[in-house]
Amino acid sequence: MTASRWIDQLLRDRRGMAARVRAASTGDVVAITRAMLATIVVCMAIVGAALGSYRGGVQIAYAALKLPIVIVGTAALSAPALTAIGAALGRPARLAHDLALVVVALAFGSLLLVACTPLLLLAHSLDVGYHATILLLVAMFAIAGVAALRVIGGAVSADAAAPGRVSAVLALCVVFAIVGGQLSWALRPYLVRPASREDAIAFVHPLEGSLVDAISDTIHSTRRGW
Amino acid sequence: MSVATLPIPRSPLVSPVHLAALALSPLAIGAVVAARTAAPSPIFAVPAIVLGVIAATGPALYIASAAVGDAPPLATMARAFVAALSAFGIALAGLVLPTAFVALTTTEPTTAVATCTAAIAVAALCALRRLARELSPSTLASAAVYACWSVATLGIAGRLWWDVASEVLS
Repeated sequence: MTASRWIDQLLRDRRGMAARVRAASTGDVVAITRAMLATIVVCMAIVGAALGSYRGGVQIAYAALKLPIVIVGTAALSAPALTAIGAALGRPARLAHDLALVVVALAFGSLLLVACTPLLLLAHSLDVGYHATILLLVAMFAIAGVAALRVIGGAVSADAAAPGRVSAVLALCVVFAIVGGQLSWALRPYLVRPASREDAIAFVHPLEGSLVDAISDTIHSTRRGW
Repeated sequence: MSVATLPIPRSPLVSPVHLAALALSPLAIGAVVAARTAAPSPIFAVPAIVLGVIAATGPALYIASAAVGDAPPLATMARAFVAALSAFGIALAGLVLPTAFVALTTTEPTTAVATCTAAIAVAALCALRRLARELSPSTLASAAVYACWSVATLGIAGRLWWDVASEVLS
């Protein structure tokens, strides 16, 4: 089966795609994973380029390079948690199949994000402000993230005989949110204000705490009325 | 029936891979804390606390379960503990990578220690759940015994880990 057919099945029949991954041989799992990784890289490069176009110039290339790294890196760091927590509670350990499942789900999320990209371009063409664009981005990524996690949840829950499947999916959701948040925080910026100076644009900012630290600081600042 | 013909049931989870995970994962998570705090003590603290606390409190669970009339044979109890410990190692092995990433990319040692603590706590809860499934307490009294033992064991281990974390953060 070709990659385009897998993508078509992913968009039309996610349960069928998940069942295909669960039943796949090792060779098929590798082929599916490779095709879905390519999908993620292409889709997130397009989304990243659209984000970078808000500032323009070299930021388009920077964001197009960084967003695929964020998604693929998050998958690589999070998938072992699904396998390990499940195995600890008695679910059969199949790391390659679990990784393929996570990658398939993220490919679906990436495709949804690409579908939302015209909204970003519309916001840019209508001169929507920086903060409003950030909110639009958060909404887009939240929708794509929830949709991707639903794909994984549905696929793992379909194996009703396996103990520990709910705990494994819950653990994956938490790990995924924390690692994805931290990795995207470490590789920021993606959306740069148009008014920022050329020398202020960098591939990545220096490490400044974590996403949790930043949220904590923001809450403190809000309480103090700053 | 002679002793030689007695079947020796084995928990399907206990394999060399699981035992290796049990041996290495606590060392790895301790090493992450040590790397962020520049104090070597956490490297051996996690395995020492886990194995030490289980060695200290495990017999109490057997005695209390037997006292309420629902203790499995000693060999079954021992296998259940090995399965639970291997579950701890496997769960922690899956969490080491994401935990190390978050801990090593934050500038705050407190955040790093909190992340590692959360990973250890999740692995401990998995182990307790696994132990409950292996022992499957059948009466209310034995379930209450197991619940009390779990709270006490978690409390002791948590307190010991808190002392280690406080010391390296101070």
